[in-house]
Amino acid sequence: MEIQYKLTLCDGVSCIRNNSKELLTAIETELDKHGLRKTVEIHLSGCLGMCKQGPILIVNPGYTMYGKVNVEDIPMIIQSHLVDGKPVADFIIEQNHLYNRFFRIFGDTDFFGKQMRITLRNCGIIDPENVDDYLSVRGYEAIAKVLTDMTPKDVIAEVKKSGIRGRGGAGFPTGMKWEFTANQDTDEKYVICNADEGDPGAFMDRSAIEGDPHTVLEGMMIGGYAIGAKKGIIYIRAEYPLAINRLEKAIAAAKEYNLLGDNILGSDFSFDIEIRLGAGAFVCGEETALIHSIEGLRGMPRPRPPYPSVSGLFGKPTLINNVETWANIPVVILDGGDWFSSIGTEKSKGTKVFALAGKVCNTGLVEVPMGTTLREIVYDIGGGIPDGKALKAIQTGGPSGGCLPPDYLDTQIDYESLAKAGSIMGSGGMIVIDEDSCMVGLARFFIEFTQDESCGKCTPCREGTKRMLEILTRITEGKGQPGDIEKLERLGTMIQKSSLCGLGQSAPNPVLSTIKNFREEYEEHIHDKKCRAGECASLLSYVINAQCVGCGACKRICPVNAVEGSRKELHKILPEKCIRCGQCYEVCKFNAIDKA
Amino acid sequence: MLTPLEMIGKKRAEAVNRIISKGYLSTKRVYVGMATCEIAAGSKEVMEVFTQALANGLPDVYLSQKGCAGRCNLEPTVEVIEEGKIPVKYGKVTPERAREIVEKHLKKGQVITEWLI
Repeated sequence: MEIQYKLTLCDGVSCIRNNSKELLTAIETELDKHGLRKTVEIHLSGCLGMCKQGPILIVNPGYTMYGKVNVEDIPMIIQSHLVDGKPVADFIIEQNHLYNRFFRIFGDTDFFGKQMRITLRNCGIIDPENVDDYLSVRGYEAIAKVLTDMTPKDVIAEVKKSGIRGRGGAGFPTGMKWEFTANQDTDEKYVICNADEGDPGAFMDRSAIEGDPHTVLEGMMIGGYAIGAKKGIIYIRAEYPLAINRLEKAIAAAKEYNLLGDNILGSDFSFDIEIRLGAGAFVCGEETALIHSIEGLRGMPRPRPPYPSVSGLFGKPTLINNVETWANIPVVILDGGDWFSSIGTEKSKGTKVFALAGKVCNTGLVEVPMGTTLREIVYDIGGGIPDGKALKAIQTGGPSGGCLPPDYLDTQIDYESLAKAGSIMGSGGMIVIDEDSCMVGLARFFIEFTQDESCGKCTPCREGTKRMLEILTRITEGKGQPGDIEKLERLGTMIQKSSLCGLGQSAPNPVLSTIKNFREEYEEHIHDKKCRAGECASLLSYVINAQCVGCGACKRICPVNAVEGSRKELHKILPEKCIRCGQCYEVCKFNAIDKA
Repeated sequence: MLTPLEMIGKKRAEAVNRIISKGYLSTKRVYVGMATCEIAAGSKEVMEVFTQALANGLPDVYLSQKGCAGRCNLEPTVEVIEEGKIPVKYGKVTPERAREIVEKHLKKGQVITEWLI
């Protein structure tokens, strides 16, 4: 039978406190009474961020939102709205026929149910290349509000009240950064948007810009107003052509509408934004290296202090924030710092976008309130591990982060909890790893990346990552020596403590966290010359078992003639010739080749 | 002299009117995902099918692109929204599927349930 109505019931903590569970039971009872169970679907959503008016019930189609619903009101609402088709005006707190925006998201509840979208609020909803679409969803209203009745001090106070912290990874309180920059007494200041997203497998910033470029511009304008800057620069990597193209279009459209340029919206505030392209060096995501790159110098970090808020671009006070942070600013202004700080945990407010990737059913972009557990992301949103495989680890924070074993599944996502568990929030990469992956190989992959991207300015990072890579390589090749693990630990701690910038300070994290949580795998590689995941080719051996029928398929495909045997007789692989390419294993139809 | 807030209110009203004049109030609205990830999965060709169908005189449909909603493993995605009905999302849309959506859903109102997300 065709579904006629979809109900979304808020299942956030605050709404549960307001009896949303009883509400669910009452709704189900009423639906049964009217025989509507087959034509009405009920979904639970994560916190909708309207806690003061909870519990919230949304009826679709029509996007009718009921607030402060009591159990006693349910029979009337069901009768009137679902049976007679007349929404109950007394309880409606929002109704939006024309834009109907979030319903398109909530309609797909398995994936979106636990999510809450602030940064990505317009992504996948509006046409990113049409400024009219952005204007229609309260676009540029935040900057207008700021220009109409807020002083720069008010703006900073609001951002501080929201409790938002930098989304680039380190989690520095954004309001404080703004205040430091605003307090500098000079006539020339800069605002920079860091869109140099370089973590392997991360695409949050790219999608945010491609889905809603105007939000980033609006956030930067508000930042410019707050600190007294007239110029903004977006530093984005050249390998994001579509994002660059959409930003260029957005800047041109905003200028045409007098939303950017001189005397914005008739006020005396002027602000201009230009785009600078980065060549794709990972280190240029570090703020001082990024500034050097914009200045035309080689992208290398310098010691801090002085921080960019005091002496940044061309020696002037500079406010640098990440794309995601900027995209949150218009919401903080429009809906207020109080509302924003009601989402999340005690020390981490708001939401965080993650690029969910790896061995998980639903890969994609997810935005969840801080405090959501890893289990909810991997199993409820991500749909679990495909092919019934077991979860081995969750890697967060990309090459600067760590691997958490399944024991940490109930860790809440916030800056402190992840750090305590031995990983980091980072910019938002999240890779799910199943039993088929070798943790030593994974650590080697990340170290290979960071040693390649190390700018070479400081010795611990330049030399240290190189040596770590050498040790890891020899372990994966079966040439590991006793004492290698201790050597890696000592080297890693030293690099962490003595490197100049964040790249080096965090580069050993993947290695140290895998040693901490998966030490036995390292030991097996070194002492038993075994890779339990079967990924390290040098540690594998292929053996033909009794199921062989002598078809000769393996013999024909072997590139080095390492298979012996006459037709219709048991074949044999010569270990000294075998290069462990695995082609015989792939081609055998009789499960006659064992990989060990 | 208008305040910036009043000016933005006016601009929004104009913007909404412009969107409506482009046919936003059509019975059916079709959104094709067009971010880098979706384009890589083939959404440009899908968009082309819908553009062609409109050029060939498909009535009462508003076509627009959108950014990535995050369903990377199901891309390209196409959404069809009808006023007063439950919106539907199609996943893994190929040009062939897009032609089918035009024929069945947009012309005859039959939702192709097996391709829904």
